[in-house]
Amino acid sequence: MTEAVREVRAVRGRPGAPGGSRRPSTAPRPSATRLLWALPPVALLALVFLYPLALVVQQSFQPDTGGTSVQPYADVFASEAFREALWTTVWLALGSTAGCLVLGFALALVIAFVPFPGARAVSRFIDVFLSFPSFLITLALLFIYGTVGMANGLWTDVTGAAEGPFQFLTTPWGVLLAEITYFTPFVMRPLLAAFSQLDTAQLEAASSLGARAPRIIRQVVLPEALPALAAGGSLVLVLCLNEFGIVLFTGAKGVTTLPMLVYGKAILESDYPGACVVAVVNVLISVGLYGLYRVVSRRAGA
Amino acid sequence: MLVHSRKAKWAVWALFLLLFVPLFALPLLVVLGASFATNWSSVLPSGLTAANYQAATRGEALQALTTSLVTAVTASLLALAAGTWAALAAAALGKRHRKVMDALFVLPVAVPSVVVGLAILVAFSQPPMLLNGTRWIVIIAHTVLVTAFAHQSVSAAITRLDPAYEQAAASLGARPAHVLFRVKLPLLLPSLTAAAGLCFALSMGELSATMMLYPPDWTPLPVLIYASTDRGALFTGSAIAVVLMAATLLVLFAVSRIRTRASYR
Amino acid sequence: MGIRFDAVTVAYDGNVVLDALDLTVAPGEVMALLGPSGSGKTTALRAVAGFVRPASGRVFLGDRDVTDLPPHRRGIGMVVQQYALFPHMRVEDNVAFGLKARKVPRAEIRTRVAEALEMTGMGAYARRHPRELSGGQQQRVAIARALAIRPDVLLLDEPLSALDAQLRSGMLAELARLHRELPDVSILYVTHDQVEALTLADRIAVMDKAKLRACGTPRELYRAPTDEFTASFVGGANLLPVTVGATGVRLGEAELKADTAGAAVGARATLCVRPHLVGLGEGPNRLTGTLSEIQWRGATHRLYVEVDGHRVMADLRELRDPPGLGDEVTLHFAPDDAVLLPAGVGHD
Repeated sequence: MTEAVREVRAVRGRPGAPGGSRRPSTAPRPSATRLLWALPPVALLALVFLYPLALVVQQSFQPDTGGTSVQPYADVFASEAFREALWTTVWLALGSTAGCLVLGFALALVIAFVPFPGARAVSRFIDVFLSFPSFLITLALLFIYGTVGMANGLWTDVTGAAEGPFQFLTTPWGVLLAEITYFTPFVMRPLLAAFSQLDTAQLEAASSLGARAPRIIRQVVLPEALPALAAGGSLVLVLCLNEFGIVLFTGAKGVTTLPMLVYGKAILESDYPGACVVAVVNVLISVGLYGLYRVVSRRAGA
Repeated sequence: MLVHSRKAKWAVWALFLLLFVPLFALPLLVVLGASFATNWSSVLPSGLTAANYQAATRGEALQALTTSLVTAVTASLLALAAGTWAALAAAALGKRHRKVMDALFVLPVAVPSVVVGLAILVAFSQPPMLLNGTRWIVIIAHTVLVTAFAHQSVSAAITRLDPAYEQAAASLGARPAHVLFRVKLPLLLPSLTAAAGLCFALSMGELSATMMLYPPDWTPLPVLIYASTDRGALFTGSAIAVVLMAATLLVLFAVSRIRTRASYR
Repeated sequence: MGIRFDAVTVAYDGNVVLDALDLTVAPGEVMALLGPSGSGKTTALRAVAGFVRPASGRVFLGDRDVTDLPPHRRGIGMVVQQYALFPHMRVEDNVAFGLKARKVPRAEIRTRVAEALEMTGMGAYARRHPRELSGGQQQRVAIARALAIRPDVLLLDEPLSALDAQLRSGMLAELARLHRELPDVSILYVTHDQVEALTLADRIAVMDKAKLRACGTPRELYRAPTDEFTASFVGGANLLPVTVGATGVRLGEAELKADTAGAAVGARATLCVRPHLVGLGEGPNRLTGTLSEIQWRGATHRLYVEVDGHRVMADLRELRDPPGLGDEVTLHFAPDDAVLLPAGVGHD
């Protein structure tokens, strides 16, 4: 089953098609029929996605008091909660991405270049890991670092103290840990793909010329991996900005991100214009970054 | 090949395990362990029981499982059909049009799922398309979210497909429809099943948009898991989570069997 | 049915890859399109098949203008380098594909598939999948598949270049036999290998840089090339920059006898001499120089001799007692074996 996941997950990290040969173009027929064939799926997408998205933008300019104004924006931007959520979202996403890049690079390096019995099984496990929802990680962390979980239980058993030292789970650090855990495989996938393209003869040549491992990594492996790192990193950044399940399951009042704010305003407070404003901001940030990701990863594929 | 001395190798592997096991293996094991327990206040869970699974496979939970399966299968099939159609149509277009279409169809990946949920809630809560409160609004949201992935993986497969097959078929006198159904789709079948598996897995675990949209009589598994943990029933929640993981893996496994049989080379 | 290119020009993104090609393949003729990669030969073939659309010019099959017809309505058999056998179909289904697409009655499909497989010697493999066949066998199936639709025109795009050398010469003989069995089928054969072209073709069209350089029978092109590119690409040649005199030509200080008909006295020209027609020792047209390199090739020796700053190649029957590097060597060739060409780019 893992191939099924691997195949497609790889797509996320490596959109460029292999094969540098000039693609022989089929003789272009009258393009009107071709455009006609593209119409049904586009119309469907417009109906269930683009039109609803446009409505969100429209509602963000329509305060409950009626009329059309930028009042909802002014209200939202003025609120402390929004500014804090924006800041939390951004630093969590940046922190998680950095963590995923470092960890993913190190782990992929070992799997690819210091192979051990079972390395293949590990990379298959990573594929399986990718097919599970993110909130499972938070659920698991509750048992590991929760107030009465494994780690604190061990501490109280050993020291006899009433409380364990691990109380970070309901703080942003808990979210950070969960996001790094869940999203690291998203960096490892394209990296492992890039490493498999790397000619081992290059490593052997560098090694025979007297280079030691750190130098080889810096001068041979890293340049090759840079496109995959950039692509994987920017994808993870976008996914972190949009992450909802991990934050929701953390259940911490202290950690509010933009998606949480959208959910809270819409479902809990029924403040639709406000929710729409936050949604528009969130979409602008994410789509902007995703556009960047596509540009970067296309260059990586070329 | 990077590290040559035996000692250094072992050191690297030890470090790898030290990072890998607690970060990736432990969480899944912990959820599995918790699903069989009633209490966890020490290193290991205690009060071993199968009662959580009794709760997780009947009544509300069983209904949630069916809900999730029906939603995921429907959404995957719809997404596969729409995504494949879009990818095939885009591949036939000129460069400029193709770029526009690709961008449109990956957009749902970049837009936060919560916002997709909000947008669909806003759009389908008013006439003429009043779907709020029905299961269809959940299925539509899932379809939108996974279509992007279906489209992406199918168009990657189309790019990889050697145009020589298509051209050989055309030179033998096959009309475009004949080429599509007898040559292109069969050759794409492995990728299509892989895409279906991915869509299914994503839909099974979808929480963000679902939380915005689900009607009381259409509660998928992730929502139920959240509801359980939210009211403190962590161990039952874990059992339901294990059921979710098992169902996902089972279907992915079945899909990969089809896929192996479908890959001819 | 013949093929006719009428001023066919093809451009990709403003890059002209085929420049105003005029060429006619007679019914039943084997025409080889010979040239290096990027010369436009494959583009010409694909224009006949309908996979590239000319920017200008027309393509005719027989009397029919097919320029605007989609590929599936042209009725052409085509075999490409990578075979492109459908991996999900058995050999017999591959061969039957074109017949089914044409809605040929079921019973007739069976006999025609068997016939096509028999003709290519693949009758025993009908139930196999392509992946179970060797490269040579796959190539035969690809040919059978193209022949099953009984095309009047067969397009072969580098059909042998994926095979190893030994298999290639066997398949070459096989293709020649097939053509004898199907004398009415016109064949357009794209290759970069002069041996394939010389062996198989009735006529060869030499292409370079998107243009047709020369067209003629293999014998004409080999014996009497009309330009430098053709001379060196078909068979290899010494191309010596000379000045035309009254009774012969001058190469530096050396006076050489050659047929100068049609060339103006004092004009610059290129003298083309095939390396295997150059002999060692004294003779009618003498060239003296120092040996700069010698290669032993089993049955022959190749000598590289510097004559007045020009490198002259000579292929000689294996020498008992070859000269050493730096030795002064005298070469000769018969005046009849030299061809005078218009001066080309190699001339300074």
